[in-house]
Amino acid sequence: MPFSSGVALGISGDVMVDQLPNLGREKEMLEAMGMQEIADLFSDLPKEVVMSHELPLPAPQSEEEILHDARRLLGGNVPLEQRTSFLGAGLYQNFVPSAIFQLITRGEFLTSYTPYQPEVSQGMLQAMWEFQTLISELVELPIANLSMYDGSTAAAEALTTAVRVLNRKAEQKDTVYVSRLVPPDRMSVIHNYTQGAEIKIEYIEHNKDGSINMDSLEKARGSCGIYVEYPNALGIIDEGMKQVKEIIGDVTAFIVGATPLALGLIEAPGKFGADIVVGEGQAFGSPITGGGPIYGFFAVTKPFLRQMPGRIVGKSIDVDGNEAFCLTLSTREQHIRRQRATSNICSNETLIALMGAMHMALLGPEGLEKLAYRNLAAMQMLKDKLSAVENISIPHGDSFHFNEFVIELPKSASSCIAELDEFGVIAGMDMAVWGLNENWLLVTCTDQTTEVDIEEFVDILSAWANDELEVLQ
Amino acid sequence: MSHLFEFNGAEGKGYSQPSPIMDVSKLKLPGSMKRESLPRWPRVSEPEMVRHYTWLSKRNFGIDTGFYPLGSCTMKHNPRVNEAIAQMPGIANIHPHQPESHLQGLLSIYHEMQEMLGICAGMDAVTLQPVAGAQGEFTAIRCFQEYFRKTGQTQRTKVIVPDSAHGTNPASASMCGFEIIEIPSSADGRLDLDALRAVVGEDTAAMMITNPNTLGIFEAEVVEASQIIHDAGGLMYYDGANFNAILGWTNPGLMGFDAVHYNLHKTFSQPHGGGGPGSGPIGVKAHLAEFLPSPIVGKREIQTEDEHLYAVDDCWYTWETPESTIGKVQQWHGNAGAVVRCWAYYRRYGRDLKTMSEHAVLNANYLRHAILTKAEEAGVTHMFTEGAPINVCKHEFTISMTPAKESMGISAMDVAKGLLDMGYMAPTVYFPQIVPECLMIEPTETESKETLDEFATNFIKVLQTDAETLHESPTTTPVRRVDEVYAARNLILRYEMD
Repeated sequence: MPFSSGVALGISGDVMVDQLPNLGREKEMLEAMGMQEIADLFSDLPKEVVMSHELPLPAPQSEEEILHDARRLLGGNVPLEQRTSFLGAGLYQNFVPSAIFQLITRGEFLTSYTPYQPEVSQGMLQAMWEFQTLISELVELPIANLSMYDGSTAAAEALTTAVRVLNRKAEQKDTVYVSRLVPPDRMSVIHNYTQGAEIKIEYIEHNKDGSINMDSLEKARGSCGIYVEYPNALGIIDEGMKQVKEIIGDVTAFIVGATPLALGLIEAPGKFGADIVVGEGQAFGSPITGGGPIYGFFAVTKPFLRQMPGRIVGKSIDVDGNEAFCLTLSTREQHIRRQRATSNICSNETLIALMGAMHMALLGPEGLEKLAYRNLAAMQMLKDKLSAVENISIPHGDSFHFNEFVIELPKSASSCIAELDEFGVIAGMDMAVWGLNENWLLVTCTDQTTEVDIEEFVDILSAWANDELEVLQ
Repeated sequence: MSHLFEFNGAEGKGYSQPSPIMDVSKLKLPGSMKRESLPRWPRVSEPEMVRHYTWLSKRNFGIDTGFYPLGSCTMKHNPRVNEAIAQMPGIANIHPHQPESHLQGLLSIYHEMQEMLGICAGMDAVTLQPVAGAQGEFTAIRCFQEYFRKTGQTQRTKVIVPDSAHGTNPASASMCGFEIIEIPSSADGRLDLDALRAVVGEDTAAMMITNPNTLGIFEAEVVEASQIIHDAGGLMYYDGANFNAILGWTNPGLMGFDAVHYNLHKTFSQPHGGGGPGSGPIGVKAHLAEFLPSPIVGKREIQTEDEHLYAVDDCWYTWETPESTIGKVQQWHGNAGAVVRCWAYYRRYGRDLKTMSEHAVLNANYLRHAILTKAEEAGVTHMFTEGAPINVCKHEFTISMTPAKESMGISAMDVAKGLLDMGYMAPTVYFPQIVPECLMIEPTETESKETLDEFATNFIKVLQTDAETLHESPTTTPVRRVDEVYAARNLILRYEMD
């Protein structure tokens, strides 16, 4: 056995599989077909491929036993709520209203497939059409699809979309420019998705305060597209975003990776010239879940519609002229267009997007604004308090931030994270992992961060930065 | 008809939340970037919202609603304990960048799943990062590509797929930059080795095959196909969409494949969720392991006191980076929540996964037999043919409605819509494209004999319905036949505000 069996609560773990209604009726069913044994059903397998041994796996477990093991194993993880956490860096510990968890376990949603038969799939189709509308309103672009795997694949496929649409007009063929501040893991996804189309990636540099370097941006003029984040990965809201479209010009696609919750306070990218807006939707409706399943969103202006990836719902009518919904523009997709499809995406993240739609619906416009203020306020309180701590500085302190910002420590961020862990604090994200200064720590607040959390963190961090931790112990 | 955007209560009505922890007037925002007008989202109270989505759910059909014989999709029952487990804080509320010590339970489950999936497919190394089957294909073909680059074989630019392949196969390989060579299937719906031999060469990078194929037929000559590709220096890719048919009986390793993707949302019961989330791990043979996405989970002995405190068993689990990794295909660790659900599913069966596959094949053959027998009794055998001549099918089978279409004007779509009126989800229609007027039927192992008998009876009843009535169907569904051309012409892709 390559790994240990699960717990057996009874004698010898002799559990029957309980999921098969026809267990014990095999003979009856085989005889009806004129067969004798199960092996007859596999008589078409050539001998050389038939396994010579049984699967070397443990015995089946009952539901109770699986729960027992799940509690032990998942109980061995440290959920964020057990600690005071300032870790974010792209995934945020936001509150998800209870109604959402109840509603998405309705079997009609949970256990349905992609809505290929629209007559019996109106519920999910309409819900996704509403999701498209919610996203469209949020980013102020006319069209959105019904989800991508995550923010990183959304960004990657936005770049390939831009090249497909604009390559003919672009002076810098097959070339896109990406912000230097895009985190390496996201960048790696972008590399994997763009290399097949032989897309050349150049970088847009940033100034010391984290804002876009406009001289560097000039170079992107005439390329197929640029990708910048808003707020950027260091939490900075860059006022230069409003000048970007003018600098890169009409031919070059302006792709914005947006933090959706921030859009409750800062201008929607569609209002300052964005052609494509993508992002990680997780903060709306989804727990972090170890990084998945979450969902990416993808919105475009009209010129990009027919080259965009993913499923899209359209409103139509049925034969009686009644309002009805169905998937549309399928001729972009792999099951019709095969190797000439705009993307290979088939399964997406519909159910998680549904959670997002429910959250957005509950919030409403003012609820969104208030939620954004709560996230901003927690970050602001932490920033204000940390700016007064000796031996800690805030490298982009004069910039505007949302959710998170970088602090510079007197020693490495990795040692800070390890030592604060012993005090039950998850300090943040080590910026050495992103290839930045090893003394930089990205600290994140959300609507779940309380004043008490912040005070505790500031006290401990201050003690750590001034070599006084033992006093606290 | 209820529209979300028609709910418009008073401003600020609805969802309650605490106030910000600082006076909003003291918050710093760049004035130039202030949002001018809020999104025109609805203003809906919780009771209205709950009722809206409950109403929508009632206009949707899931496995829980009724029999769902959607071929190629493996719509099996989703055990509910899996949902209970996925909502535990130890999975729902963990962050992928937490230290390894905080995630030992998750890493242990990942490790067990890597091992289990490797065993089931006869593969040496597994990554759980791809979040969908198509992304698994893409990931594996990227690994192939790096393997060829590393071994100086960049002239291998072509990927061969049979014309019965899922559309994702050519789409995924094409996204990696490969040229697609489509080869015709033989007249009996199987691999045509002569057609294969005619296209292989020094430029062959890989062949992608689904086995059992999309007609539900086991490709008996798969070993020969592998030999032809390997002799030419290419690699063999196994599309695991139909893996549900063969667990414990055979595996892709024995068939000669170098890589495989698993659809955890098919074979291992991750709920389909109306189109996702899925999970599409891949397994590879040893020579490709160094290229897998980063990280995968390894284990070693416990070394420190601290590790003893956090360990969930007698090992310490670590994230490891394969030596020549292609990097990331999803930014985090894949769909961890789906992996945990499927771990719970696997534990329910253990070594009896073989029994699971046997029942999937038993049910498919039983249903096929019941339909053929009842058609004979009812005298409607002239209306259809089988998609291909077979003695036994695997987990699914195909029916062509061409005879009925030609003689009576009854199409596969008409039959599908007739079945909706009988209270069933329709089978997959018009796929694979090589079977004209195709209905593709996959009952799965979690349907009872009675359900299968009743479906066969009702299927025949649909065939006995006159063409005119069928053209009018469905009539009992929330809406009647939807005009997809109207949708494509008018492109109403969002709610239009006044």
